Amino acid sequence: MADPAIATSLHLALELRKPLLIEGHAGVGKTEIAKVLARMLGTDLIRLQCYEGLDTSTALYEWNYARQLLHIRMQERDGHAAAEAEAKIFSEAFLLKRPLLQAIAHEGQAPVLLVDEIDRSDEEFEAFLLEVLSDFQVTVPELGTISARERPHVILTSNRSRELSDALRRRCLYLFIDHPPFAKELAIVRRKVPGASEELAAQIVGLVQRLRTARLAKVPGVSETLDWAAALVVLHAAHLTPEIVGETLGCALKDEGDLRKVRAEIESGRLPVGGP
Amino acid sequence: MSADLVQRTVALCRELRARGLLVTTAHAIDAVRALGAAGLASRERMYLVLRCVLVSRPEEMETFDEVFDALFSRQAAASGEGPVRVRRRSPPRDPAAEVSLASWAEEGEEGGGGEEPEEVPAASDQVANAAKDFGAFGAGELEEIQRIAARIARRLAARPSRRWKSAARGSRLDLRRTMRRSLSNSAEPLDLRFRRRKPRKTRIVALCDVSGSMDLYSRFLLQFLYALQGTVARVESFVFSTSLRRVTGLLREPEYALALRGLSAEVHDWSGGTRIGECLSAFNEEWGQLVDGRTVVVILSDGWDTGDPALLGAQMEMLRRRSRRLVWLNPLLGSPDYQPLTQGMQAALPHLSVFAPAHNLVSLRALERHLLA
Repeated sequence: MADPAIATSLHLALELRKPLLIEGHAGVGKTEIAKVLARMLGTDLIRLQCYEGLDTSTALYEWNYARQLLHIRMQERDGHAAAEAEAKIFSEAFLLKRPLLQAIAHEGQAPVLLVDEIDRSDEEFEAFLLEVLSDFQVTVPELGTISARERPHVILTSNRSRELSDALRRRCLYLFIDHPPFAKELAIVRRKVPGASEELAAQIVGLVQRLRTARLAKVPGVSETLDWAAALVVLHAAHLTPEIVGETLGCALKDEGDLRKVRAEIESGRLPVGGP
Repeated sequence: MSADLVQRTVALCRELRARGLLVTTAHAIDAVRALGAAGLASRERMYLVLRCVLVSRPEEMETFDEVFDALFSRQAAASGEGPVRVRRRSPPRDPAAEVSLASWAEEGEEGGGGEEPEEVPAASDQVANAAKDFGAFGAGELEEIQRIAARIARRLAARPSRRWKSAARGSRLDLRRTMRRSLSNSAEPLDLRFRRRKPRKTRIVALCDVSGSMDLYSRFLLQFLYALQGTVARVESFVFSTSLRRVTGLLREPEYALALRGLSAEVHDWSGGTRIGECLSAFNEEWGQLVDGRTVVVILSDGWDTGDPALLGAQMEMLRRRSRRLVWLNPLLGSPDYQPLTQGMQAALPHLSVFAPAHNLVSLRALERHLLA
């Protein structure tokens, strides 16, 4: 189901060897693109999930302290000097590689590095990431500099919960993914939820598409459509009725206020649900 | 690739840059490389390739489409015309406007709670004289302003960030440093190192309108800023009416009366008209580096602008992009009947994270929440 814009962006990211920044609403399949790319290239996917407070010890590397301590104790028992132990315990065997270092130190074919939800990390981390992305090398004080043999293919995703820095944007190719149009979303539902009848799938997609035009606090994404369709299949619904929509609406709308608003619309008949 | 196509691509980059997109020479080089690598099959393909390289946020798509259409249209390609003049369209409506309006409605209720609805005539010097309004403020209540400012400042300074730093004491063991230190006494971890949360450094940049229509309020808002600055080091204060003036230094006086005297001596167009757009433009140009992703920008103004609303909108957008939050405090919002309909206010609204009243103590207390969020 390759959209020409997505295909072009991935092609360029591979050709120009530049990171690709993907933005779009929650649940439009940004993360999925990285997975598909890794599958297409037959290479590993290394994922770094961002969150506020993410720091280098979780993103880059950390020493394995428990193992270091054990090793020192054993060395002591065997009567070795501390200096000898020091040289040993700060070697690669005691290094825990976190996603960024994994991607850089990766052996063989260049992996796909997915930096997921970069907007949730803070500015300091963004600046640090920028540094890593510009030369793909990392210095571990005890070990020296490790640089990538093959530059990883980098995909960054953002939900736009905060504006990313211009410096980061400047360095990336850009792809914005909007909610898919009716026909495409229907095709996605048919493919991912094969149990849903043609009629049911069309009704669900039609309704979700209408919901997206309403002013909601949290607009349902494609993943919500899929969840909803799957739930209705489990309930053996052949088509939508106001009752069944009322019962399962929580699959698509995740905000109490939205739920109340849409339920009222359905009850009053302003939002028809039965039609195709 | 034909020289004409390269030329056209460069022209596209230039026009996009002129329209405020982030397009550097490196982008132009990438664009040509990208076309060579992937984009010559069709016009559609060319469009997708160039968009992927040259656009970096969704708001820019429309501009890109326009410029691309003008420069890469079939006629232009056939006749080999040079860069075409393209007409500018008004910016699309931003969904953020709705959010700001919703929060405005809430805040309006909170701020004006229990007060009688009344008319507030716009930019005149008449003022809502509700009991709690600053218009009817006594000297005793000035202390309350200071108390609120001090509390906000304390909370701003004490707010821990999500990041850790090494310290001799703290809530968590810093294993890495402890290990390192233990090596000098045969790997016995005698000297424990800890980690603690780094304090979050929130910076406030306040721009206070001191034009005629704000006369009554700006006195109190300045007082508020003065108190705020007395407690947190990272407050930068500016006043504006027809021009912009940095007053951070002036507000550092040990007494407010002294600060005020200094202000009136230094600021000449006090109580004149307002040109918000131009003042913000001057701010962005000269003091833009004060604003980063940790900065809360607070504008205190009633939005009565005699300048160009388009300029105001553009400058607000720039501020919003750079700052953590963009807060507009409007004393007139305290009146339940007030609608932000002035052209200036309309241009600014889509870019605000918070649009709230600032006409009484309740609203100042609410400000605490906006600054910390």
